Amino acid sequence: MYNNWMRRQRLLGYVFIGPSMLGVLVFFLIPAVYSFGLMFTNYKFMSPNVEFVGADNIVRMLHDDLFYLSLRNTVIFLLAVPVSIGLGFVVAVILNQKIYLKKLLRGLYFMPYITSGVAVAFVWMLLFQPKQGPINGFLRSVGIAHPPGWLSTTTSSMYAIDIIWVWFLLGYNMIIYLAALQEVSSELLEAAKIDGARPTQILRKIIWPLVSPTTFLLLITGLIMTIKTFGIIQATTQGGPGNSTTILSLYVYQNAFRYYEMGYAATISWALFAIILLITLLQWLGQKKMGSLLSGQGGHRRWSLKEV
Amino acid sequence: MELKRSLTSGAAGRLLVTVIMLALAIVMIVPFLWMISTSLKTPAEVFKYPIEWIPSHPTWAHHHKVWTGPKSFGTYYLNSLKISIIGMLGATFLSAFAAYGFARIEFKGRNALFMIYLSMMMVPPQVLFVPKFIMFEWASIYNTHLALILPGLFTIFGVFMLRQFFLSIPHEISESAFLDGAGHFRIFFRLVLPLAKPALATLAIIDFSWQWNDYENALVFLIDEKLYTVPLGLQNFILENTVDYNGMMAAASAGILPMIAVFVIGQRFIIQGLTNSAVKG
Repeated sequence: MYNNWMRRQRLLGYVFIGPSMLGVLVFFLIPAVYSFGLMFTNYKFMSPNVEFVGADNIVRMLHDDLFYLSLRNTVIFLLAVPVSIGLGFVVAVILNQKIYLKKLLRGLYFMPYITSGVAVAFVWMLLFQPKQGPINGFLRSVGIAHPPGWLSTTTSSMYAIDIIWVWFLLGYNMIIYLAALQEVSSELLEAAKIDGARPTQILRKIIWPLVSPTTFLLLITGLIMTIKTFGIIQATTQGGPGNSTTILSLYVYQNAFRYYEMGYAATISWALFAIILLITLLQWLGQKKMGSLLSGQGGHRRWSLKEV
Repeated sequence: MELKRSLTSGAAGRLLVTVIMLALAIVMIVPFLWMISTSLKTPAEVFKYPIEWIPSHPTWAHHHKVWTGPKSFGTYYLNSLKISIIGMLGATFLSAFAAYGFARIEFKGRNALFMIYLSMMMVPPQVLFVPKFIMFEWASIYNTHLALILPGLFTIFGVFMLRQFFLSIPHEISESAFLDGAGHFRIFFRLVLPLAKPALATLAIIDFSWQWNDYENALVFLIDEKLYTVPLGLQNFILENTVDYNGMMAAASAGILPMIAVFVIGQRFIIQGLTNSAVKG
């Protein structure tokens, strides 16, 4: 009797996950399969004849200079992730000291992450204005006669985007590091101090290795999140000047909704997926390694923070 | 943990480090300060250097322009609020429901289904744009708010986050409830949901901020100006007023200030939620 009831209760599992599962099916799984199929067609929006073209799109992609350029730009974009992790770590270590106004400071550094959207991208567009903008105004006032053109030249634009992105991610990295620093045992640090270790030694030899699982997590989630973004670029430069800020995710968008090359867009989007898969595999390998290295610390569960 | 005992043990050293960090923190929020300041200036003052942080002749004219006329931000606000609030409530509740199933009920195929969730986190939104566009067109919800609201009801991140929280609730609680004859529904609504209030609040706030800031989906699925959300309205304003820098910054303020308010009110929840889901096992 009781067992029967328990069995029925267990079946409720399907009821609980049912609605969510339906959404995942309709808005994630089916579109993903559909998109995989599109990769092998020449589907164009509004065009009636859809044909199976085999691997044509993949061949085309591998011969597409713009694909390689956007791949390169994506790599430059991703550089922002380790930089913001490093800065986030430094800020977290300092805010973890005995200082005043801790909460306020934490909030201020974190603000860009939570408030950011395209709105702030437009603000940066004006801040970066090459001729009259306040950033170059400042640089000229401190004696730099020819400050960079930021978003307006092909050589500097991607790095200007990186600056915005570092600014955006820094606070998030800091918050996660602050939590990780709470778990660094104070006895260990005391012992190191008694043994005469200098602060920089403690930082490099004890704290940095101890937070390495966090660093690793931030690196992986940061890379994955960054690779999926194109909003700030679409809002500020639309990929220009001269495709110098066209990153892969934006290139997918452009192919799909500017040139209506849906089949080709799907193909590039799977290249994007392949990169994410590669990063995830690295994560698994790294976690295994890290798990055996730091058996006490390695069991943390990790996942990407940006919504899929 | 104290690292630079020598520097921050004394009040003077502590003050020095605080002042340096505060100065850097202000650099971090300079874009916001400049935005607000510029939105209150006259066109001639925009690029004056040295920067006049507090305008000598503040004017509300640019904010007025943003909030009135046929392309008033009022419309965009209502659209954004509608989409974000429905999405937030739906996503939070549906995530809690699914998370409970994954965390507290042992049923056949649970792990396989969870693996599907896991794998979907790897799929970038770009992969889904074209099929969703075709599907929405077919279901005639393309260029309607439903194209944003319906997918917005489902967040895989939310399921992960709440599942994690539900796993941390001791099993004895539901076991004793079982012995008292309570089923999963009762346990979920009466026991687990009340316990999960902080986690639910966190997810709700984070989800709201995502939905409010969502530019990419709106860009793909909306074309009608009347349907625009705040990010699209903002983009539109900027495309149509390419030299009106004050107006642009007034419009940007309109887009950002609600998020600043949400952040100030919900900071505790946001920070706790993000750290718990990322660091704590």
